[in-house]
Amino acid sequence: MELYYIGIGMCMLGTTASAIGEGLICAHAIDNMGRNPEMYGKLRTAMILGCALDETTSIYCLLIAILLLFIH
Amino acid sequence: MVLAKTINDKISEMFNFEFVPQLFMSLLVMLIVLIFAIIVGTKARHAKVDEKPKGIFFLGILIFQTIDNFTLSIMNKKYRDFTRVMIVFVPYIFICFIISLTGLPSPIVYLATPLSLALVVFFMVHGTAIKENHWGYFKRYVDPFPVFLPINLISMWAPTISLTFRLFGNAMSGFCIMNIVYFGLETLSNALFTGTLVSGAIGVQSIFLAPLVTPFLHLYFDIFSGCIQTLVFSMLTLIYVSQEQSQEDENQVIEEVVSN
Repeated sequence: MELYYIGIGMCMLGTTASAIGEGLICAHAIDNMGRNPEMYGKLRTAMILGCALDETTSIYCLLIAILLLFIH
Repeated sequence: MVLAKTINDKISEMFNFEFVPQLFMSLLVMLIVLIFAIIVGTKARHAKVDEKPKGIFFLGILIFQTIDNFTLSIMNKKYRDFTRVMIVFVPYIFICFIISLTGLPSPIVYLATPLSLALVVFFMVHGTAIKENHWGYFKRYVDPFPVFLPINLISMWAPTISLTFRLFGNAMSGFCIMNIVYFGLETLSNALFTGTLVSGAIGVQSIFLAPLVTPFLHLYFDIFSGCIQTLVFSMLTLIYVSQEQSQEDENQVIEEVVSN
């Protein structure tokens, strides 16, 4: 049993930061949607854009995990 | 067939490069976009002014107006010719994601495709910066202090790398997860219909369970992810290029010239 399996598992722990960040983005967006209901469309677009930008760091973690899994 | 295989093997051992299927899929996507553009263009040339557009012509106008409004909402009105660049990227990336619905391999899974798209954006951004500032372009590398030169040289590649890996990571993770789900469901279907745990697709009896579950995964990984990634890529390109352009209004420039 090789040790790189543990490394793959530890690598994917880095995606929790991205999850917390996206939660904060959506929380602030929904707060302000409740405050100004007429800005719903613009806030939704900005929220999805922000979530996609935040996703990049967790994709870096996933990429390293997949590389370790298949090309050890 | 054997001739093509020997040519491929010779080239791969000489140049360390291989003709993977995703390269031909990229050409197919370009062919689809090209045919669509030629049809819309010929219909536009023969269209009359007071007729309502119908069918493919209407779809072409809709796509063009969406991209045009999107570009103008971020860029200065002086640079509205940038729409013709966006109208190449957006359909290409979107159809690259959609084409994995048919089961054909998507070109973005091959790392060279998103890398070349990001390099085109890199040259556009730095070309615009050189054109606007001429020799003042080099000030950004010694910006706070000249000691910062190595840090600035590395951080000029950060947008390129992040654009590449955003596209590649989304497409590759979708591809891997879909393959794993299909493999598992085919094995389960084999077990249900023949009673043995033969792994993979061995015949007609392995195709019955997968279509019950995978359409929803295709909906997320191909359609939803494709829409969002095209939006993010085009918006980031427009923002990066518009930061290099001059921010002054052209009416303001005319007023200054007239008053002086």
